[in-house]
Amino acid sequence: MIIVRLGWRNLWRNSRRSLITIAGIAFAFASLIALIGVARGLVVQLLRNGTELMVGHIQIHDRDYLPDRDLYETLGNLEGHDWAGLIEQLKHNPQVVAVSPRVYGVGLLSTGEQTAAVQIIGIEPRLESELSRVIDRDVLARLTPGSLLLGTTLALEIRAKEGDEVAAVAQASDGTLGNDLFQVAGVVQTGVAYLDRSLAFARLEDLQQLLALDSNRIHEIALRVQDPLAAAEISKEISQIAGLPSEATVQSWRELLPQLSEYLEVAGAANAVIIGLVAIFATFGILNTMMMATFERIREIGMLTAFGMRPSSVTLTILVEALFLALLGLAAGFVFGAIIMRYLTVYGLDLTRWTGQLTMLQTRIDPVVKGVWNWNAVISAAITLCLVTVVAAYLPARKAVRVEPVEALRAPVMQ
Amino acid sequence: MRSACASLIFLILVLLEGTSLSFAQTSQERAREIIDRVDRMLRGDSSAGRVTMTVATRQWKRTTELRIWSEGTDKVLIRVEAPKKDQGTATLRVGDNIWNYLPKIDRVIRIPTSMMMASWMGSHFTNDDLVKESRLIRDYDVWIDFEGPRDGVEVYEFRLTPRPEAPVVWGKIEYQVRKADLMPTWAKFYGEDGELKRTATFSEYEEMDGRLIPTRMRMSPEDKPGEFTEMKYEELEFDLEIDEGVFSLKSLRGS
Repeated sequence: MIIVRLGWRNLWRNSRRSLITIAGIAFAFASLIALIGVARGLVVQLLRNGTELMVGHIQIHDRDYLPDRDLYETLGNLEGHDWAGLIEQLKHNPQVVAVSPRVYGVGLLSTGEQTAAVQIIGIEPRLESELSRVIDRDVLARLTPGSLLLGTTLALEIRAKEGDEVAAVAQASDGTLGNDLFQVAGVVQTGVAYLDRSLAFARLEDLQQLLALDSNRIHEIALRVQDPLAAAEISKEISQIAGLPSEATVQSWRELLPQLSEYLEVAGAANAVIIGLVAIFATFGILNTMMMATFERIREIGMLTAFGMRPSSVTLTILVEALFLALLGLAAGFVFGAIIMRYLTVYGLDLTRWTGQLTMLQTRIDPVVKGVWNWNAVISAAITLCLVTVVAAYLPARKAVRVEPVEALRAPVMQ
Repeated sequence: MRSACASLIFLILVLLEGTSLSFAQTSQERAREIIDRVDRMLRGDSSAGRVTMTVATRQWKRTTELRIWSEGTDKVLIRVEAPKKDQGTATLRVGDNIWNYLPKIDRVIRIPTSMMMASWMGSHFTNDDLVKESRLIRDYDVWIDFEGPRDGVEVYEFRLTPRPEAPVVWGKIEYQVRKADLMPTWAKFYGEDGELKRTATFSEYEEMDGRLIPTRMRMSPEDKPGEFTEMKYEELEFDLEIDEGVFSLKSLRGS
């Protein structure tokens, strides 16, 4: 106990030196917190951009539906499935934020003179607006029965504008040529070229009718979850649900968007390298400060030994002192880092200054990167800095106690 | 599908008028000559007929009654007469263009280029088949691969390979014709990778309007075993006067 008290008192015997060391540790820790926050923010951002536009974090299909999007391979196959019941069940999972059922059809849209091939997606506007950001909520709400929402490029191609009537023709599931007239409820610009070119949204029941599918037959259920990084585990959980049709597969974005998954891994690795480098620089800074601080106290240490204090106790005192320094530094650094993170989580870093509008991997990139706490990384950074400080003190301390007291006492006083 | 008969056998090769044979090698020349004769026999200058089309897929099987008119090498009109649900649905081909008429919504829709490879009326034929069938001899080089008896019947077997830069979907077509009466028996369509994609088989050779034709043709896709589209000629007339107005968008609408 005496050692702890001694260590604490030593700390303030030369408060200027201690404060400089503490500031060094605090600065290193705060920078790491901010850097880790931005790195994680970037990953989350890319993930959100890649998934929340349309795909969602998890999707449920019949085993044979993907990759061809075969019209007949609905959930529960030809018999269909009580998907409304399944959706209720899925919503019970606390991780699940939004669930949206979808039907897909391939066909033609025509205004008379102009015809284009499209993929029509049948949705429940209310449920879809909770899940995807591809179309604004109030625009989706305009999707009344018998109407369509079209991408801008597509609308231009078939020369259709809001209020126009368009004919939709699609190969129906009973072998007939399904055809219906729709009214254009809106023209939407998503900012993603391939969506603008081929996007057509209809109400789920309208598309089912066009495709001669019974109302219990849908192709896809898309889900959004609280933590997209936990989507793989959640999808495993969901695949155990009893209400799932037989032959259904539950896949997370990691499987649905392998490109994005790989990209995030590369981005994550690059971030880890940068954080690692900064951590190494910070380590050397602290090492330097601590060593200097301990070396200049050789005279003092010699004095203690001369008084008959056991060398191991002297070392321990210095280590305790270093630990105090580290903890104080980390605490100060955390406060400082948290303030920076507060700014980053609220306002974020606006990248437009450097990049302008961005699309990547066919997704629209939000140019403002917001910080996201990555507690695991922050805690490991704290532990690393703490260890570095103590080790940096130990090396010179061990050397100091080995010095003959007489030698040590001859050392110049540096105060 | 210029002549009703040729529309039955989509793949019959046409020797276009004025095709120069001067560059062709002798075996090619002979091959073309035979195929030209087969085509003339089956196609006629014009035709009108009634066809029962049966499409069987893994999920459903349906039969439709069609009426077909054709003239020259690039005009075809096909109208669905039964079942009731599809009655009046029609397809018009003039040159490279295809239009569909849908009576339920009373709209004529031109098939865009991007949908040429899509199924025609739910069958195993594509829209492209309707257009390209008339061009086989323009787009392909023809060779006699085999000449002699197969199962006791004297036959020719032709091999068609795409000419450089011809806008075709097949890497190779094999085609068997009986020597005695020049009746086709089968045709095999291969992809660019040399893999067999689909097979057409001809049967029930009968005389219609004084000409012998295979009245039944079945197209079977290789990748969907058990599925097929079959066309059976019920009636067929050749070389009749067809009003120009038949091959118009107005007539497509059935008015």
